[in-house]
Amino acid sequence: MSASEPPELPEPEVEYRRPAWVEPPADLVPGIVPVELILARTPERAIGLTGIRAYPTGFGCTLHMRLREVIPGEQSNFGAFNMFGDGVDPAGEFADYFLRVGVGFADGRKATNLDHRRDLDEGPAPDPPTLWLVRWEGYDRLAWEVDVWVYGLPPPGPLAFVVEWPARHIPESRVEIDAGLVLAAAARAAPIWPDQPRR
Amino acid sequence: MSFFEPLPPVRPPTDYRAPAWARGPEDMVPGVVPVALLVARTATHAVLIDGLLVYPTGFDFDLAVRRRPSHPRQPHHRGHRWDDRLRLGVRFADGRRADNHPRHWPHPIDDQPPDPPLLYQSTSGPDGGHVWLWGLPPPGPLTFACEWPTQQIPPSQAELDAGLVLAAAQRAQTLWPDQRPP
Repeated sequence: MSASEPPELPEPEVEYRRPAWVEPPADLVPGIVPVELILARTPERAIGLTGIRAYPTGFGCTLHMRLREVIPGEQSNFGAFNMFGDGVDPAGEFADYFLRVGVGFADGRKATNLDHRRDLDEGPAPDPPTLWLVRWEGYDRLAWEVDVWVYGLPPPGPLAFVVEWPARHIPESRVEIDAGLVLAAAARAAPIWPDQPRR
Repeated sequence: MSFFEPLPPVRPPTDYRAPAWARGPEDMVPGVVPVALLVARTATHAVLIDGLLVYPTGFDFDLAVRRRPSHPRQPHHRGHRWDDRLRLGVRFADGRRADNHPRHWPHPIDDQPPDPPLLYQSTSGPDGGHVWLWGLPPPGPLTFACEWPTQQIPPSQAELDAGLVLAAAQRAQTLWPDQRPP
């Protein structure tokens, strides 16, 4: 009987794919829709949306959160650290402090950050559309950028982007674009490895 | 009476402003470059410049590392050495250039803004990162170059017409044209 331990084996290489509702497909270059929208603007703050990156499975875009001047005593960094809530329960006493973001399709379907799921990689595929806030970045209180991934493409017709932030005097505000622009851009998404069969 | 005195609530300083060279003007919404650029492609990896958002002072973009889905993925090792990271460079038509090596970043307390172009990569990881380029290119080809030896990505480059960037800068919107605060 040998006293020696078996050799330590290298970790196996694994094929791992994050599900389609979490991020864009890895093997496509997106089609771009050059939208440059101001979704809401008050004397103190504004929310913009730009740069739709479209794929056959959905689209990404960037939200621009802007504060004109620092307001002493105001705690919010646009709630960006907590999916726009700063720890606020959107169903609780301070719900008005929760910044709401959503998209609405012409057939009535919608996705918002109120139904954000935490178990990103687990469980069955959700029914599209879903909306995820995938990156947020800011260095002070004045400007934050937030990247959004919407799983699911809209049907033809108007595609609405909607925000609401009652405690910051932003009522429900909506800007619509032609969903055909997103569908056309998704059709332009190009394979990075054309020789590879897509799954 | 408690032994420990209560602490004041933790709040970040309210008057801090990021320096102008580190990001776009905070009172603007950027213009969009309507293309994404494939800079490198090997049998297993690709590097994409995506989400080009332009201000009059520079532009933001995603440096996206894509892995070929059908290819086995290497177990993830966190790289702590700069040599392990994806190198990115940008070259203007007039020969000026910048890269994402941290040694080129200005000291945070420097009062004077650095000479453009300056490439500031705010996040970095196995999937790439987010980059701000301080300074707009002159007309002509705008070259993006990358290299990642540890992932077998050889020196690679691709060009974008700088006119697309300059046109997008023209479309950036000032949110409060009257600059006096309310």
